[in-house]
Amino acid sequence: MQYEMNFGWTSPIGEVLLGATKNDGGTRRVSYRIGGGSTLPFLEDMSTTPAPLIAFEVCDNPAFWSPIIRDYCGDLVTSVSEWAKKADTDYRADLIRLHLTSTKQRNFSDIASLGPVVESVLSATSLPLIIEGSNEPKIDSEVYQKCGEAGQGERLLLGTAEAGKYRSIAAAALAYNHSIIAQSPIDINLAKQLNILLKEIGVQRDHIVIDPYTGALGYGFEYSFSAMERIRFSALKGDTDLAMPMICSAADTLSIKEVREAGPGQQDELAIQWELFTCLAAAAAGAEILCVRHPGTLAPLRKALAGMKQKAHTAGVH
Amino acid sequence: MALKALDIYKLLPKKNCKECGDPTCLTFAMKLAGGKADIELCPYLSDEAKSVLGASTRPPIRLVKIGVGTRNFKVGEETVLYRHEKTFYHPTGIVFRVMDTMTSEEIIAVTKRVRDETLTRVGADLRFNGIAIENVSGSAETFARAVETVEKVEAHLPPVLISKDTAALKAALVHCGTYRPLLHAATLENVKEMCALAKQHGCPLVVRSDSLDGLVQLVKTCTAEGVPDLVLDLAPDSLGEFILRSTAIRELAITRAVPDLGYPVYLNAAQTGQQDAAVAVGIVKYGSVIVTDPLPVGAAKAALTLRQNIYTDPQKPIQMNPGIYRVGSPDKDSPVLMTVNFSLTFFTLQGYLESARVPCFMLIVDTEGLSVLTAVAAGKLSEMLVRDSIKKFGLENEVSHRKLIIPGYASPLSGRIEDATGWKVLVGPRDAAEIGEYLHEEWKK
Repeated sequence: MQYEMNFGWTSPIGEVLLGATKNDGGTRRVSYRIGGGSTLPFLEDMSTTPAPLIAFEVCDNPAFWSPIIRDYCGDLVTSVSEWAKKADTDYRADLIRLHLTSTKQRNFSDIASLGPVVESVLSATSLPLIIEGSNEPKIDSEVYQKCGEAGQGERLLLGTAEAGKYRSIAAAALAYNHSIIAQSPIDINLAKQLNILLKEIGVQRDHIVIDPYTGALGYGFEYSFSAMERIRFSALKGDTDLAMPMICSAADTLSIKEVREAGPGQQDELAIQWELFTCLAAAAAGAEILCVRHPGTLAPLRKALAGMKQKAHTAGVH
Repeated sequence: MALKALDIYKLLPKKNCKECGDPTCLTFAMKLAGGKADIELCPYLSDEAKSVLGASTRPPIRLVKIGVGTRNFKVGEETVLYRHEKTFYHPTGIVFRVMDTMTSEEIIAVTKRVRDETLTRVGADLRFNGIAIENVSGSAETFARAVETVEKVEAHLPPVLISKDTAALKAALVHCGTYRPLLHAATLENVKEMCALAKQHGCPLVVRSDSLDGLVQLVKTCTAEGVPDLVLDLAPDSLGEFILRSTAIRELAITRAVPDLGYPVYLNAAQTGQQDAAVAVGIVKYGSVIVTDPLPVGAAKAALTLRQNIYTDPQKPIQMNPGIYRVGSPDKDSPVLMTVNFSLTFFTLQGYLESARVPCFMLIVDTEGLSVLTAVAAGKLSEMLVRDSIKKFGLENEVSHRKLIIPGYASPLSGRIEDATGWKVLVGPRDAAEIGEYLHEEWKK
């Protein structure tokens, strides 16, 4: 006897293309099509889909990065291109997420320096890139313009648009055909609202990845988990303004008390487990890009995700 | 189809005898309608009423109690697929496994660890739940000795007895048969003997099959044999299979499409070859009893924290008591930071303040557990509340200055707070992560 789960879904999650290969006018060795799911995560045959993807996060000024990672990676963090190369060939990430932390310096104004940073990472790795611009409205416009230009043709994912600041990033994405991350503070209605705002200024649905904001495990993660489940649910029930893939980045993980105050011998272990548990729970809730900062998280996470995918013959309930 | 309370009431004896534990038949009927009581509690029901009420009033997933005494735990009685639809009620029981081939010292050490280890977070004590003893030796005698070793510690932890051999289980039950151990596992081959053991000792029983059909058959056999307290082992080959079957069972049970699948789910994470990941997936995807080898410190803390997160009632914001909290040893010149009594906000800010190493006071005002953003939007955070809180908690006696740092998201209130309190208001960062830098750069001025 076959048992059918009857959820009453009406429409699939929209797809977003990350990275452009030679055929598409870029230089990436691979591109990913994420989204496309038509039921809850991990219930259907995913043998042909690479999702969820693991993005390893690097930055161009390590002074604004967790000391745990600086200690673990050593001198590597002083060269963002070497760091990105290592994430590609050694840690075997699917994507690189570059944070332009240099823009966080007080009175930062050297916008011209950002182009070469983006270019150096693009030439150090041929994986698709996510680029995080500044947090400073005054220079946003120029920063995103610079990133968009430097990555022209590469189908980047640019971050991060929020309700209060989305115009300059959208302009850069539209001008150079990149996709963008749309972040809202753990609230399905605000997520929808931002997507509508983006739609109104011309950003297509297939160029948006939703970031519902991920609180660290133990520090609000349950709200993020439920926000992700609700977004996925509404999307499958037909709400096209929420039918985009989601990204999970629990950026606070490395600075929470449990990790920070773990004994010196245990800090890496705590950091890795915290990232692993967060990413797996988020993946089960529907996130398709999982961001990590500790190199030790990638291997166990990759193995677990492979085990969570349905093989073609087991899709459907037996 | 679920019945309304009044429809159920009509079928009850209306004696108000209180023998079910409820004051009146009507209150009992309301509980039945909500799936919160068992029809068997009423001793005066006619067989006809029982058959009408039985299937539609039973909770869609049976509540199963494992162990006795203060450390017993209950699983099941869940009603939703998503925690945001209502809440998840009975947190996953995480059970550490020992094997009967281990030395008694090793077995005792694990037992003591489960007895003693506590992680205190957000005011709650989080613990692992029990000890699983697995018969790896193949010898009934060795198995029984291992169970005896666990019981001699007198930790009173709920036991899970794992063996294919009913003779071994029988020998082990001599040592813990009265403690409601969970027996693992009945399969199509041994179901009759397993039922006899479970019935004799009044124990809950795990049934194991890699197909939903097989589970349904086993459940039917066990309930017919008089063993009602069952747990389902889906025998998954991968985490993906677990997610698929566990989700199917939850969905089919709560919609009452297949009432015979209405039992809590068991997962042996130790057998998956990626134990940490299996524990995480088991917690979020409806695992009610998870057996794992003793977890190293990182995975142990992450597992307890994830379970606490997932089983927190999403309908209730967790609240702190309003008042003045100290970080480090502040003095009369130390900064004062005002924020709301949403516990997440509190603990996040407190964490960053501690790492900033600037002794200070936190003034926590009562927004009924709302976050800063929501409290400002809803008008719960107002200048009157801040003024009254300063008076009520005697902040004026704690510091000699009159400067108050408020959260970035409360900046629209800064002028009004200054007018109402007479304190100079400094607007802090929106993100608590930046508070250290803020204090070092702004407060010193």
